[in-house]
Amino acid sequence: MSKEPATLRLDGVTKRFGDFTAVDALSLGARPGRIYGLLGPNGAGKTTTIRMIVGITAPDEGTVELFGRPLDSAAQDRIGYLPEERGLYKRMKVGEQLRFFGELKGMTAREADRAASRWLDRLKLSDRRDSRTETLSKGMQQKIQFIATVMHEPDLLILDELFSGLDPVNASLMEEVVLELKSAGRAIVFSTHMMEHAEKLCDDICLINRSRKVLEGSLREVRAGFGRNAVALRAEGTDGVLEDRSLVAAVKPSADRVEVLLAEGADSQTLLRRLIERGARVSMFEKVEPTLRDIFIAQVEEG
Amino acid sequence: MRKVLAIIRREYVQGVRSKTFLLSTLLAPLLLVFLMIVPTMLMGLKTGGATRLAVVDETGRLYAQVHDSIMRPKTEETDPERKAEKQVRMQRDAEEQFQSRFDVTEVQPAGRPREEIRRELDRRVLARELDAYLILPADILERGRVELYMRNTGDVFSVGVIENRLSRAVIEQRMRDERIDERRVRELSREVRVESSRVTERGTERDSGSSQFFFAVGVGTFILVAVMMYGQAVLSAVVEEKTTRVVEVLFSSVRAFPLMLGKLVGVSLVALTQFVIWAVLLLVLALYGAVALAGVGVEVGLPSIPVSSYAYAVLFFMVGFFLYATLYAVIGSVVTSEKEASQIIVPVSFLPVLAIYLAFPVIRSPSSSFSVWVSMVPFFSPVTMLVRIVTERPPLWQIALSLFLGVATIVLMVWLAARIYRTGMLMYGKRATIPEILRWVRQP
Repeated sequence: MSKEPATLRLDGVTKRFGDFTAVDALSLGARPGRIYGLLGPNGAGKTTTIRMIVGITAPDEGTVELFGRPLDSAAQDRIGYLPEERGLYKRMKVGEQLRFFGELKGMTAREADRAASRWLDRLKLSDRRDSRTETLSKGMQQKIQFIATVMHEPDLLILDELFSGLDPVNASLMEEVVLELKSAGRAIVFSTHMMEHAEKLCDDICLINRSRKVLEGSLREVRAGFGRNAVALRAEGTDGVLEDRSLVAAVKPSADRVEVLLAEGADSQTLLRRLIERGARVSMFEKVEPTLRDIFIAQVEEG
Repeated sequence: MRKVLAIIRREYVQGVRSKTFLLSTLLAPLLLVFLMIVPTMLMGLKTGGATRLAVVDETGRLYAQVHDSIMRPKTEETDPERKAEKQVRMQRDAEEQFQSRFDVTEVQPAGRPREEIRRELDRRVLARELDAYLILPADILERGRVELYMRNTGDVFSVGVIENRLSRAVIEQRMRDERIDERRVRELSREVRVESSRVTERGTERDSGSSQFFFAVGVGTFILVAVMMYGQAVLSAVVEEKTTRVVEVLFSSVRAFPLMLGKLVGVSLVALTQFVIWAVLLLVLALYGAVALAGVGVEVGLPSIPVSSYAYAVLFFMVGFFLYATLYAVIGSVVTSEKEASQIIVPVSFLPVLAIYLAFPVIRSPSSSFSVWVSMVPFFSPVTMLVRIVTERPPLWQIALSLFLGVATIVLMVWLAARIYRTGMLMYGKRATIPEILRWVRQP
């Protein structure tokens, strides 16, 4: 386990393609035992950022440091990278494929074979070791690629859209494995545009939009900073209370409830008291924390 | 280093284990034999019975001769040395090759006018009692003209054969009339044979010059065939990761140059494995053939080419093969799919053909400044330099320079392919323009 405070540190990293700036002066850092969410809409610059971290492209400005040093090939071997665009050799057998990827990360063939069979067991794929990759279902191929990413026990894991294409059973299996790796002290960068996934897994998040960082911090801080005055309400006979513009800014009905956005300066207690005074039957009244999704949408639309 | 070995091993194992490899290794020799034997067999094949030919002899004394000449295929070769040589070289003339059989009958003019005879014979030809008839006019010996009437003049082979054999009969008759011994004439008109010897530093050696030429052009042709077969494989190997998107993971583990080198070496080893299998097969066949020929009294000597030339041939073959393989790798690095590559491949595949044609001017004057220059150009040198080596051996420094230029070009192209590949893979779905490619190459 690494003793460095930060496994990964990006400092003022900029990448341009011609006139287009894909990543603009981005700084971030991932630490052991924590999951760092790299969030943003499609085309925000997540993949370009990741490619600079793993050494596929070099930044035009700024520095990328891994384990306290500039990126080199020894450091590359300590990274596990699951790209968003998955790629396996279709004609190769699963076992050979994993051996090859292990060797690419500096393992000997024997080490790679041992790690591969351990992981195939763990992900319930041991019977597929000799199958040709193209005969596997898409979900299975995803899992094989995941094994290729983690089999060399990397200190830094970069998972780009881990859950795409997985059914709920496999998704929760993956989630379990990722949390295990986290508690084993690995630093994990989790990139996604699916906020629900980020919300479940991430300790820290960094939201980028149009090549720039717009928000950063621990998940709790970010949410608190976005404290939004809203209430989820299920009630009968609300008689005009919700139309009072001094109290309620907007009402958003959903399936079996309404979401009430309180006016500025208004208090949820006042709303509850007023409703009861009017004789409304309240079956649900709950203060709503802003979801990451709300924050995301608000930030992206603002930008 | 371990990573490069892993890449080489993967390419090699996948290549050798593929069905294509197995099939082409087994089928290509069969196909070759097929292509060599079947066309000649088919071309010479005359189906149906013998051609029924009627002869009207207006001279009244030529028929016997003509009958014999047309029915009997050929005068025997008297000189045994020549006979053997001809057999070995398979220099069979048209008569033997186009096995024509005839069934000759005589039609007596019996004083009837020619028109009447022709009317009758025309009828018989149309009624398919006859296939053709010949009229030998009375002045045939002087004027040398004969009329042939047949249903199917498209059978050019038969017409040719008839012409040949008839000529022989007429010539023999003329000689007899002049009281010349026809056998004696044949003996006296035997041709001269040139026995060429090569003057080298080690003294003179007997040598038929053509063997050197065929040797060099053979190596050239082999490069061409190898490139046609495996250029595509190199290209697919390079494009494979782009289409399967494995590149992303590869480039996060290994740099582009060792990756490209590993792929190239891997595929080339597959090719060499196949060639070695074929070479062994060929050697076994050749030995068997030599033994079989020796059994019937024909000596087959190896072409007198010094051992060092064989070594050079292997060396230049390797350089040539890698040169072209790398060229295909460069193409593969530019394109996004194999389909797209096919347009670029066509002009490139002319290069080895051009190299083979350049062997002709070079063999005629191997030390001219044209030949020297042409033997330095990387894409031609595997053939042209080899021609110079087997003919008039050039100074060692020229051979070394030529090899060096070839190897340097290979390294340069691998580097180039790696650069283009690394940047190009990140922008998929879009074909690169030339200025873009140049920019990728310059990028750090």
